[in-house]
Formats: sequence, structure tokens, C-alpha cells
Amino acid sequence: VPGEQLPLSIGRSPLRRLPARLRVMQPTAVDAPFDDPEYWFEPWWPGVRGLAFVENGELRLRAEGLNDALAALPELGDLAEQLTTDGVVLDGTLLVLDDDGRPDADLLRRRLAEGRGPGRAAFVASDLLYAGGVALGRRAYRVRRARLLEVLPAGEQVIVGRGHVAEGLLMADALRELGVAEQSARQMSARYRGGPAGAAWLRMPTALPGLAPVVTRRPSLALIMRLPLD
Amino acid sequence: MARSMWRGAIQFGLVTIPVKLYLATESGGIGFNMLHASCLNRIQMKIYCPYHDEVVPRSETVRGYEYAKGRYVVVTEEDVDSIALKTMRAIEIEMFVDARKEANGAQFVKQAYYLEPDEIGRKAFYLLKSVLADEGKSAICKIVLKDREQLAALNPYASTMLLTTLHWPDEVRALEELDLPEADVTFKPGERAMAEQLVASMTGDFSADAYKDDYRQALMAVIERKVAGEQPEPALRAEPTNIGDLMAALEASVAAARESRAQNAEAPAVLEVDVAAEAPRRRRKTA
Repeated sequence: VPGEQLPLSIGRSPLRRLPARLRVMQPTAVDAPFDDPEYWFEPWWPGVRGLAFVENGELRLRAEGLNDALAALPELGDLAEQLTTDGVVLDGTLLVLDDDGRPDADLLRRRLAEGRGPGRAAFVASDLLYAGGVALGRRAYRVRRARLLEVLPAGEQVIVGRGHVAEGLLMADALRELGVAEQSARQMSARYRGGPAGAAWLRMPTALPGLAPVVTRRPSLALIMRLPLD
Repeated sequence: MARSMWRGAIQFGLVTIPVKLYLATESGGIGFNMLHASCLNRIQMKIYCPYHDEVVPRSETVRGYEYAKGRYVVVTEEDVDSIALKTMRAIEIEMFVDARKEANGAQFVKQAYYLEPDEIGRKAFYLLKSVLADEGKSAICKIVLKDREQLAALNPYASTMLLTTLHWPDEVRALEELDLPEADVTFKPGERAMAEQLVASMTGDFSADAYKDDYRQALMAVIERKVAGEQPEPALRAEPTNIGDLMAALEASVAAARESRAQNAEAPAVLEVDVAAEAPRRRRKTA
């Protein structure tokens, strides 16, 4: 007599639990911008390093030294709904924009210190550490960035940062005009590693050696919008 | 000419330095008068006695101290004058303390006064100022101002000295009322390093001229417009600008930089040589 067959159903495997904390990669300081086809160049926006953890649709936002930055930056509360998958950890920069849309470090400091204040919060994601609950740190930055663009469609306040491959000197020129003093360079083939990044991630001034440094000012949208587009 | 609000002398051992006191600050707030809404005339505050149900002139009032609930003792001018205070017309220096020490309670300040020495005391005045400045000391003293003996600190300031009245210790609230578990909090070295980095990046020379009372200026502008017969404009709220605009600005800037480079590339050959000579190194160098 055949044994009674029990219905067997295999549901979706539950997402692996995201780590409560992550040791973030720290960039290596270099003294000047450069061109290199192996690197992805993007602005170093005047903000605070932020990690966004999204698990079971819930967002946890960590800023440098602040476990729950969401209370101070409530505009970012919809970030989880913007993602195309769950179990995500984004690495990026938290900003507060003034009424002209310029990143304002003073407004950001005030928000983080007092929990409220003027301006509009924004998050520029530049790396993807987990997606679908799966760690991506061992994948090359090229792969992580491509996946990041799939996982995070552009929103009003949360966006994947823009940049350019190879053309670090061009990016530095553009950023100097914007009033941004530093830029970042990520090695396209590099893994994500907690702690010092070595050559995997570099941070450099946009000013060239021997030339006057960028006068620190907030990037002026009004000025840049007058410049010709391609 | 500034009007002094007190005249006396710094008493320093056997040395007496005649000085005048001037208020060092003034209220920057905008004062309002209370008006009757229907006729816009100024409201008058009358002193009213509920026992006699009548308005009382100020000349018929006396000062009373409530020593028990509803029970008062009258304190007259004669009573006040009978108090033999050593510091009645003197700034009596009690001791000198390290001006940078925070634990001396000198941070609970009330009011600052400039000192102006009389001609006869100038030399001694500037000698004392010079010694305080060189030694990094602050003089703790007592002075009677407005019928009250006040604790004060005397410090060198610009071309004079600043007398800052302080709260008495029993006027300073105890910290025990607050929840301050400082001893229970520990910092990781990384957290400390980050905080130190942030402090270092924001460290500068304080200049009060760099700060202004924005609210007062805005309020004054509203008042001036109303005086001129204009209705105050509602506060303008800029349209929220999103992060996408910033990225568009970046793209525009990159496009402009690319165009600029292309134009430079089309320039005469002699210029290309010069540019090449000045070109930045492409080798990376760790800072």
C-alpha cells in the first residue's frame, strides 16, 4: 500500500538576515586627480557617509557615529519602497540640500545634531553591499554598480550617484567649476573590503598640484545651469 | 558721550584705582508697546490694591519681604542704608584665579561692564591689566550694584578691563537634577578620532562680527514696510529642489569641461607644448 503522500511545498527561502553593523571601506587619500581606464570617478559630495539597510521592507539608516539617522532625515523614509528588491544595503552619502538644491554641510550638521531643521535630505548611493539578502562584497565594483542601478531606480531624494569611467581629470575640472573640492575614484575590478581600501577606492582633491585649491563654496546650481549641455 | 552707571574704585591690597563702569552690552531686541486693539492707544499699567479696591500711586508703595505665606515685613530705604557693606563704592578684589579654569564657576555670568580708569589711577589700572593678561589670571571680586552685592570677575579686554557679574553659587542650579550618565559612556578609538577630526575641521578664530541677528533684521524690515504703508510679503518658500537636479548640474559641468578641453586641443601647436609641459602627473601618489 503506497504511503500517504504529504503535500510538500517549498516556499521562497527566507532572506538571510542582514548584519546589524558593517565595517565600511575607507578610501585612501591621494594628492591629485588622474586619468585611468580602470577607475570610476565621481564627486565627493559635502555630506556624511551613510549606510541604508532595508530588510523586510523596513529601513535602517546609519550615518557616521549615528545609528538612527532616519529620525533626523525623515524625507528618506520612503527609500525602501523605491527599491526593486529587499535585503539591501546601500553605501553612499547623506546630504541636506538648501532651497537652491545645493548640498549644505551646515544644514546637514544641524539636522543630525538637533534632529530637525530646514533643507531637504537626500541620499546619493555609490555602492551596493547586499541585494536580495546576498552579500555582494566579493563581486567587482563594476558588477556591484550595475546591480545598484537595477536595484535603485532614481527617485526624488534618493539616487545612484553619477560619474565617469577613466576621465578623472575631466571630472576634476567639472567639479572645480561646481565648487566641489574633492572627488572619489573606485577601481572597477576591486572587491568591497572593510577598513582601509588600498587602491580599491581613492579620495583626492579636485585641484591640480601646484595650482590654487578650490575655494570652498557650495556648488552653485544657478551658475552651472547656464553652461551648455551636450 | 557714554554715561557711566557706577563710580568707585578697584581695591587691590593697599592700592585704590578710581574707575567708572559702563554697560558693555545693550539689548538688541525690538521693543513693543501694548496697545488697546480697538483704539490703538497705549495701555497704562496701574498699580492696584485689591484690599482698598483702588489704584495706588507709586509714591504710596513700600517694599515688603514675604517671610511667611501672606505675612510681610517692610524694608525701608533706611534699613538698606544701614547695611555697612565694604564694597559699597568699591570693586573689592578677593582673589586671583586661573582665567582658563572652568571649575571656578565663573561661567555663570549675568552682565558685562567696561571699566574706565580716572586719570589719577591709569597707571595702576594698566599695570593690573598687564599682569592679569601676562599671568592668565582673572580677578574675583565683589561690588554693590543696584542695591545688591554682586560677585564678579575682572578680566583684561582690549584696551580696558571687563567686569562680569556672576551668579552666586546658591543661584546656580545643581546638575544632579539632570540625567547625565557621562561615566557610563565609552567611546571607541574610531569614534573619538572622527569627533576630533570634525572638531579640527570646524576650528577657527571666533569673531562676533561674523554673526548677526537675522530674526531681528527680518522683523525690522516687516515693521519698516508697514510704516511705509506696504503689506508685509508672505515668507517665500522655494520650490523643493531634488537631488536629480544636482546630478543634472554635474552632467552639465562635465559637458562644459569636455567642451573646454576640446577647444584647448584645437589651439595652436605652440600652446599644446605649453599645456603638455604643465600637465599634471598621471602617476598617483598617496597623500
